[in-house]
Parts: sequence; structure tokens; C-alpha cells
Amino acid sequence: MSKTISENVICTFCASGCDDLEITHNGRDISSARNGCAISVSRFTSTKQSRISRPLLRTKERLRETTYLKAIDRAARILNNARYPVLYGWSQTSSEAISKGIELAELVGGIIDNTTTSCHGPTILGVQDVGEATCTLGEVRHSADLVIYWGCNPIHSHPHHTTRFTIFSKGRFRKTRKDRKLVVVDVRRTDTAKLADRFIQIQPNTDYELLTALRAALKGEEIEQDSVAGVPLETVEELADMMADCEFGALFFGLGLTMSAGKHRNTEAALALVRDLNYVTKFAIIPMRGWFNVRGANEVSTWQTGYPYAVDLTQGYPRFNPGDTSAIDAFTRGEPDAALVVASDPVSHFPKAAARNLLGVPIVSVDPKRTPTTEASEVVIPSAIIGIETAGTIYRIDGVALEARKVIHPPPGIRSDVEILDAIIKRVKALRGRR
Amino acid sequence: MADLVLAPVRQFKIPVTADCISPDFIAGKSLREIELTEIWEGNRRVKLGSLFKVHGEMGSTPKDCLIRITGNVSSVRGIGYRMTAGAIEVDGDAGMYLGERMRGGSVVVTGNAGSWLGTQMRDGRIEIKGNAGDSVGGSVRGGTKGMRGGTITIHGECGTEAGAWMRNGTIRIKGNCDLYAGIHMKNGTIVLEKGSAGRVGAHMTNGRIIVLGNMGGVLPSFQFEEIRQTAKAGDEKIPGPFYVFSGDVNEEGQGRLFARVADNSDLKWNERYLEK
Amino acid sequence: MPELLIRNGRVFDPLNGIAGEKMDIAVRNGRIVEKVSGKARSLNVSGFTVMPGGVDIHSHIAGSKANGARMMRPEDHSKDPERKTKYTRCGVGHTIPSVFTTGYRYARMGYTTVFEPATPPLKTRHTHEELNDIPIIDKGCFTLFGNNWFVMEYVKQGRIEELAAYVAWMLEATKGYAIKIVNPGGIEAWRWGRNVRGLDDTVPNFDVTPRQIVQALCQVNSLLNLPHAVHVHPNALAEPGNYQTTIDTMDCVKHVQATNHPTIHVTHVQFTGRKGWSWADVRSGAPEIADYVNTHDHVSIDPGQLIFTNVTWMTADGPAMFALFKLAKTKWLNVDVESETGAGVVCATYKKSNYVNAIQWGIALELALLVKNPWKIFLTTDHPNGGPFTSYPRVISWLVSKEARKKLLDKINKTARRRLDLPGIDREYTLNEIATITRAATAKSLGLESKGHLGQGADADIAVYNIDPSKVDLSRDYKSVRKAFSRAVFTIKGGRIVVKNGEVVRSVQGRTFWTKPVVSEGAMRAVTSDLESKFDDYYSVRMANYPIHEQYLAASEMITTKAGV
Repeated sequence: MSKTISENVICTFCASGCDDLEITHNGRDISSARNGCAISVSRFTSTKQSRISRPLLRTKERLRETTYLKAIDRAARILNNARYPVLYGWSQTSSEAISKGIELAELVGGIIDNTTTSCHGPTILGVQDVGEATCTLGEVRHSADLVIYWGCNPIHSHPHHTTRFTIFSKGRFRKTRKDRKLVVVDVRRTDTAKLADRFIQIQPNTDYELLTALRAALKGEEIEQDSVAGVPLETVEELADMMADCEFGALFFGLGLTMSAGKHRNTEAALALVRDLNYVTKFAIIPMRGWFNVRGANEVSTWQTGYPYAVDLTQGYPRFNPGDTSAIDAFTRGEPDAALVVASDPVSHFPKAAARNLLGVPIVSVDPKRTPTTEASEVVIPSAIIGIETAGTIYRIDGVALEARKVIHPPPGIRSDVEILDAIIKRVKALRGRR
Repeated sequence: MADLVLAPVRQFKIPVTADCISPDFIAGKSLREIELTEIWEGNRRVKLGSLFKVHGEMGSTPKDCLIRITGNVSSVRGIGYRMTAGAIEVDGDAGMYLGERMRGGSVVVTGNAGSWLGTQMRDGRIEIKGNAGDSVGGSVRGGTKGMRGGTITIHGECGTEAGAWMRNGTIRIKGNCDLYAGIHMKNGTIVLEKGSAGRVGAHMTNGRIIVLGNMGGVLPSFQFEEIRQTAKAGDEKIPGPFYVFSGDVNEEGQGRLFARVADNSDLKWNERYLEK
Repeated sequence: MPELLIRNGRVFDPLNGIAGEKMDIAVRNGRIVEKVSGKARSLNVSGFTVMPGGVDIHSHIAGSKANGARMMRPEDHSKDPERKTKYTRCGVGHTIPSVFTTGYRYARMGYTTVFEPATPPLKTRHTHEELNDIPIIDKGCFTLFGNNWFVMEYVKQGRIEELAAYVAWMLEATKGYAIKIVNPGGIEAWRWGRNVRGLDDTVPNFDVTPRQIVQALCQVNSLLNLPHAVHVHPNALAEPGNYQTTIDTMDCVKHVQATNHPTIHVTHVQFTGRKGWSWADVRSGAPEIADYVNTHDHVSIDPGQLIFTNVTWMTADGPAMFALFKLAKTKWLNVDVESETGAGVVCATYKKSNYVNAIQWGIALELALLVKNPWKIFLTTDHPNGGPFTSYPRVISWLVSKEARKKLLDKINKTARRRLDLPGIDREYTLNEIATITRAATAKSLGLESKGHLGQGADADIAVYNIDPSKVDLSRDYKSVRKAFSRAVFTIKGGRIVVKNGEVVRSVQGRTFWTKPVVSEGAMRAVTSDLESKFDDYYSVRMANYPIHEQYLAASEMITTKAGV
């Protein structure tokens, strides 16, 4: 078969949105992937691994192959009969599919939540209290002379982040590595920390104290403690000065901040610090979102329901209150009685109590690959991989929407998330006697 | 007082939203009307009578109503919503949003209560004999207005962010209190009788928080003022002595933290700031 | 689609010179026709007013700043939820409604076309995703150009024809409808935390002035024959006194010829219509601005009426937002967009007792009442900056009734009242004038030939209101006028009845209008090659991934123009 090289392909793994990949393929199989990081190469060249090839239905304790229509029917019945279903996942699929998910959640009266709930939910909650001073990633590349990575390790999580956007990138106003300073704040010396001009090691779970002290130092207030978060006061004040003296600073943060003690109050403090910095210089804050379309899940959910995740549509109108309406909390309390999981593996990622309760309800999985969640499901419907086997819109970390394209055909019989969800919606409507 | 008794027919697993369980709603209604009132159980509308056995009497005005819930209603949300008078007693655990926007009357729970109790409360009295969840007397998501009157007493432990965005009123917590008590406080009084996990008064602009136990450290945005012998909580003068801090300086705050000296040896280093 | 005959209504169709005649309107296949068959469904609207569907020229309803605002303000939503119904999806409202609610609420007021007035090109794919989801209304968006690196470089080099080709390329790439300028040069300065002070300040690192940017883009607008004027939000929005900048901005392009519409449209003038040196002292600059508009035909304006309520400010004008945030001290969202523009969002509350708010409320009404020609001034609240679009009926009541104005004037800050001319203005709008500023004039300004009127061939977008022009005294009965405009008796979109008695009874897909200026192949080749040489340096996405394809729009309506390059 003839070989084609697809250019400017957008990677759909992390949320950096690298869009300069060159994929060599023959329409069905990918033979090589260039320009991406190692993770992306692996994603593109291993599309055939662990695939679910047929829809599956659990009968007599075992998952057995079935027809697409039977699987859709069973999925629709499970969701239609549920009194408190949760539709979860969404961060590794397209905006178009997420939109269908919201429609389905509204139709059956359920909670629709995405993986934000377990990673950057706190970020959004912080924004809801303070706001956010931010920018698109190219802006950082052009202008930032101070880059701070706080509680994240992009060398591993977003391998091309430093070359595309920060210290190893070339911008209009910052052309070389020398034009920028890198500060890393973390509880241990990570590989990213090894690249830093200044590494600040803090005691675990004390980010809040350090952020609070930095705000106070910035305001010229006297801090009465000799050290904060295990960092000598002098260093705290030096860091505050570095931030105030730069021309354009960019603070990137990850789960080290969102998931340590204080959670959304940590992010609130970071957001407040960056806001305060804008009184004296120019500063932006950008969360290091993990999955390639978790931002898209937040965006679509917000424009359609008003809320970015943990949306309860059970009473016919949108309600939002993480702790109440979030999937993990609802499952921890053992409340839901059914689940639809799209492109996610909550059986593996949920905290124990929530995972245990999830395993106690019928699960409908829509996923390209086998996971512990698909293995535990009642119904499994295999789907096409976004940005490789099917097109879809995705949102980069900074909210720039990109159109991920189809590069190769999916394996035979495999459909897109949009098609599958649409079929479930139609079947539910038919079961309810509506056209 | 006329007693209305609601006995849950079973342990509810799927959340029930029943903000009609409030003296203002039931006042003047017949038993039949109460039983036929529709509430939410998950995504279904069901009659209250299918989830609760209802008997007793209703007063003609909210003031004359006493609602007694006999049994565990930890999955029932919205009890006491916007009540202006009367009383509710829960003999068991109560669910989230208890007494939200309450303006008067009283709610007493013998067991535990869920999060967001007394959200945006204006007046009245809430007492929880067991533990309470997060955000006691707080605000709605993204909002800046917490409770502004009334009293909330928690006998057991309390979750995070008690008194978030509080504008007035009193919160008293007798057991351990988790992080961020009094966060964004604008005014009012919080008394923590057993101490806190830390970060008390973060972002406060006014009000007072009195801690009769270990405070869990003090944030770098607070400044040591003095040692005081007593701390005032309403009319009560609580004996100390107390380390007194002012802050949150990051918000130009004039709030006060009172940490009892005897329980806060980890704050002794502040004594170097005492004027000789 | 069944035929429709709307009978016995009092029709207001200013574009066709009809002002309250009793007439039948016939509809077939989604368009207005001369007559229909006997099988047509008949709606007897005797005693009611019939107008073309409303056309809103400026309302921030979609895109990344609107959504950022939604995400930041759950407390705005929780007080105004909308339950799903048989015909409608659920949602939330208040200052920044969710998309479904937006479409339904506009339709309930008899509006059928709405334009999002400011979209950052790099993020416009997002804008279109949201626009696609807004039900019922036809829509479009204006692409931001006033702080764009390519634009400023072409302006600096005086290469107007290349600039025109670039704008053409961008409008097609972003599927935008018109050229939008916000705080020209100022948002680029904001990259460094600064702003520009006025038209002749120099933009850092680009060595051009806002005046040059505005003039060049107005010339381009003519060269490309674009359907709408250049839509401008001037510099100096956050200065206490800024009305002179507004006038100077209008004046700086009076020499630029436009084809069949004004050269420049200045928007939400209430925000840039203040006189004075400090906040304690601001007055209304409306008389001066109105005077300018009355004596010059190359401009049109919209006031951006302020409503005394909680609002959300959202605009591309990042530095102005930060300046105002420092006064409001609430929540602040800022999003700078590389190489192009920015955005800011702040929560605010306007109070009658607040001197500045009261002056601003007055400025907007003075503008509307002092500009004599209703074809030059359009009804807006710059939603949600001045107030939610659901306030339009209230604004109408103020325009038609001096008594309605007086009632509110009696409650506002006394010093403000004393210093405004408004109490002494007697003018009351007629129903025909209202029809003009809410649909006929806006459609004409946008160059939408099939909208804003009820002549043959027009889109069958029709609103029926419970006002009997033969009986009503607008001035005395302003409350019922307000109620009438809040809940249309019927809203018809593309020939289908979508609203009945203020409730949505059907949801349809609206079309997205965009403009494709057809430039010569040579010009397009040259600009494409220029872009290719610079794109990777300027942007963090590849040029191949930047343009939005037409299939992306759920229902695309392309307007082509013949360009002079």
C-alpha cells in the first residue's frame, strides 16, 4: 500500500497541542511519527495495541462479543432506568462528543463530570473566587523573561513544553535561553528542577504558606517568621523581588499545588499572587492541564450548562457544587446507580471508596482500549481514537481550540464517540416514546 | 407547639432534595397535602409520603410548627431551607444544605450534618450534636456573602472552611476544626473550642476567631499584636491568656485571631515581638 | 414548510417606509412573498404590532471571554436557572446566559439575529462552536484587528493593499463578518502592562499610532467593500474624561470614503462619552458627541445603555479592564492572545446612588435622545457590560416615555441628576423609531439585505408584539410597552413559529453569516507567502491549523464582496 505523510498533525495526548507532527501511514497503519515527543510517538505508533475490537456485553458474569445495536440498546436501558446516573470521563474525547454527552445527561437526568474533578478542579474553584490573569502560550514564548514551574514536572508530563513555550523556545522579545530565568518550586528535585536557575524546595503541603508569604512580601509587609514552608525568609523575599522585577513572568502549576493540602485554596493563593503581581509588572498564570481535551470538557460544559464540571442535571436544570455534584464525591457516598464512562479509567484512578462503589453499579464504557474500567463494565462499546482515527475539536491548555484531524481509518466496525453517543441518545428517546 | 413527625421509611441511598421540609412550607397545610408534596429522589419526582411516614399536626403559622424527623436523613438535602420561624429536630444524621438561607427559628440535629449547613444564614439557631461537614455558614460557589446573623453550634468535629465569607453571627465549634476556619471572613465571631488543623482566618478582613486549643500555626500574613487576658465573644468574656494576631495583611484586614497561650506553645516565638 | 399568512397586524417596516399600516404579511419557504395560497396557515394578529425580527448589532454572547466569564461566575448562574421543557434545553441565565438560554431569551423578545462583536482570531474556532450551539437566532462575529502584529506592520510600512489582502485572508480564515477594532494599539501595549493614552500615542515596539491603525483599517474596509462599517471601541475607556477621544476617532476617518454605509461605527459610546478630569467630577459628553453624529454622515454609534444592576464587564480591552478592576475590587479575568489582542472580564454592580454610574446611565440616554436620526443610533446595552440583553424592553420604555425616565431620574444620585441634561429632554421615541433602532437600522448598518425588513424576498423573521398602535399611548403606557417587548406574541424565524406568547415552542438552527472579500489571485498569493514566512515566528500554532473551514459552521451563510485589490 502506498505511503502518505500527513503533516501538521495535532497530537492528542497531553494538552500542549503540539501541531507539527509528521505521520507516515498507509491509510490503515501508522509506520512512524516525527517531531513529537516520545509519548506522542508511542501514542501514534501503538494504536493497534490493547484495542477492543467488538462491542461487548456482560452475560453470565463474563464479557462476550455482541452486536453494536445490542450494545447500544443495553447501554440506553441502563442509563434510562437509572435514578442517579453519572456520565464521566470526557477529557480524552472531542468537544463534539462532549456536547453529545451533555445532551444525554440532560435527557436521562444525571450528573456529567469530567476528570477535572480529580486534577484541576481546585484551579477552577480558585478562579471562581479570584479570577485569573493569563495568556495564550505563544505569549509566554514571545515575552516571558521569568518562568516559574510550581508543583509540576513538565520534562516528564509535557515533554515539549520547554522547547515550544518557555526556556528553550525562541520568541519575538526573548530569543535565547539567556534571556529568561527559570525558577522551580517543588517538594523534591525533579528533572525539571535540574534545569532551573533557582530551585526552591519546600516542605510538603506548605505551598499555601509560601504563596501567602510571597503576597505579603510583595506588598512590603513585614513577615514575622524566620522561615516559611521550610524556605528561609531571605529566600522568600528574594523570590518576591525576582517576580516583581521581571518584565513578563509566567507561572505554571500542576497537581503539586492542586492536590496537596488546601487544594483550591492553594490555587486561589497562586491566582491572587499573580493578580497582585500585575499591580507592579506583567504576570500570567497557566495551569498545566493533563489530558488533551480536559480544557475542552470544561469549555463545552460551561457554555452549554454554565458550569465547567460536576454538573448535576438530575432535576432538569444545571446545578454545580463540587463536593456534592462531583462524580468522586457522589461515588464515595455510594449514591449513583449507573455510570457511563467515556475515554477514561476511573476504576483505576478514583480513590478507593469511590472506585469500590463504582464497581457496584452497571457501567457502560466507551473507549478505544481495554482498561480495568472496561473490564469491569456491563457494556463496552469500542470507539475510534480522536485525532488519529476520527476528527474532533480539542482545546489546548490555554484555551486555543484546534481541529484534530483523522489520519488513518479506524479498525473495521469501530465508530466515533459522537456516533455512539448519538445512537444511545436516539435509543433512549425511543424507549421513552419520543421521536 | 404542633408537632409534625416525619419518619423516613428506609435508609435513602439516592439523594433526596426536600426543601419543603421547613415550617414555612408546612404551616397551615393538611397531612394529606404534605404527603402529596412532590420532592426529588435522584432524577424522579416522588411524593413525600412515599419516602416518609407523616403524622402529627401542623401549626397555622411557621412559628407554631415543630418538625421532628425521626431517623437518618443524611441523604436528604435542603431541610429548613429559608425558614423564618418554628423548629426542626432531626433525630439522626441530616443531609447537606441544612438551614440554607434560614432567617429565624431553630434546627437541632442529634447526629451529624452534611456540608454547607447554614449557607447564607440570616438569623436563627442551628445546633449539631455530632459532626459537621465543610463550609458551615458559608457562601454559594463563587459568591462573597456568607452567613450574616444567627448562631451555629457544632458539638463534634467540623470540616474545612467554617464561616467562609462570614459577615456576622456566631459559630461555635466544640470539636476539632479542619483547615481554613474563617476564610475570607468579613465580620462575626468564631470560637474553636478544641483547636484547628491550621490556616485560620486566611484572607479575613474583619471579625474575630478565638481558638481554645492548638491553632495549627499562624499564617505569615498575620502580625502579632499582644497578649491579652480575655477574649470577647459577644457578651461572653473567655479567659485566656491569648496571643492576639491581626490580619490578613494581604487583604488589608483588621481581623483578630486569639490563640490561647496554654495550647499554642508552637507560637511562643512571637513573644519576641512583645514590647518590653 | 407550510405557508403562513400574518393577518391584520399593524406593520412597522421602516426600511420600506411602512409605519403602522394595517397589512398582511405572507410567508413561503422561509421568505416574505407577495401572496400565498388558500392553504396557508393564518395568524390573526389584529390589534398587535408586527415588526421584522430584532437585529442586535453588538452583544457579547459567545467565545472565549464570554465563556471565561461564565466559568468564573457560578454565583451569577445559580440565581437564574432555566429548567428544560418539551421544546427547550436547560441552562442558566442572568448576566452571562449559557448558549441555549441565550437563543431562547432573544427569541422570546422577538429578536432573530445577533452579532458577537469581538472575537480574537486565534480563538475564533471556539466562538463558532458556541455560535453553532445558540438556537434559533442567525448570527455572526466581528474579527479583532486593532492590535494585530501583521496589521501594525503593514500599517507602519504603509502597505495598504497588502493589509487589505491580509484582512481578506483573515476574515475567511476566521469566518468573521466585519473588522473590529478595540483600543487600537493599547492591547499591544498591555503586553507590557501599559496602555496607550490616545490616538497619537506610539505603540511600543511597533512604532505606529492608533490613529494610523484606525485610518488604515477604514481604508481597507472600503477597498474590500465589506458590508459593515469598521466597528470601533476607542482608546481611553478607563479614563474619567474620554469623550474627546471618541470624537477624534470619528473625525480621523472622515476623509475615508465608504461605499454605501458609514465609514466608522463607534460602539457603546456611553463608556467613552464622559467629560471631566476625575471620577468625582465627570459629566456627560453626550451633547458634544451627539452634535458630531448629527452633523457628520460617515459615522454611526450605539450607546451601550447602562442598567442599574449587577453586570459582568467583558471586552477585548485588557488594560481598561484592569484599571476598572482596581476600582471595583471584585474578580478579574485577563487573557492576552499572542500576536493579536486580549480580553478582560470583571464583575461589577451599577447603583443608582453612585454618582458615576448615574452619570453613565444618563449619558447613554442622552445620546439616544439627542442623536436626531434613528438610522444612526442603535439600541444596545453592550451586553453584558451595560446590562443583560433582557433589559432591552426596559430601555425601550425609557426612550418612548419621559415619565418612565423621570421615575428613575427621581431615584438616582442627586448631583448626577443636577448635572445631566437628561431631565430637560422631552423627546419620546415613536414606535417606528423603535423599530428602526432595533432592527431596520441595525440590519442596514450590517449590510444584511434580507434582514430588518418585511419586503418581498426578505427572510421571514418576524416579531409580533402585544401593542395596539391605534390605541396605545406609549408615553403613558410604558409599562405595558415594556411587557410587550419582553414577551413576543409570536416570533417567526425563517417562516417557522418559534415563540408563542413569550414561550419557545420550537427550536431551529440559525445560520452563521461571514464575509469573504474576493481579492485578486495575485494579492492572495502575495499575502499567503508573506504569512508563511512569518507564521511560525508569530504564532504557537502552525499556519495550516489556523484557518477555520466552512464545514465547521453548523449552517454557513457566506457573503462575498468584490474587493478592489
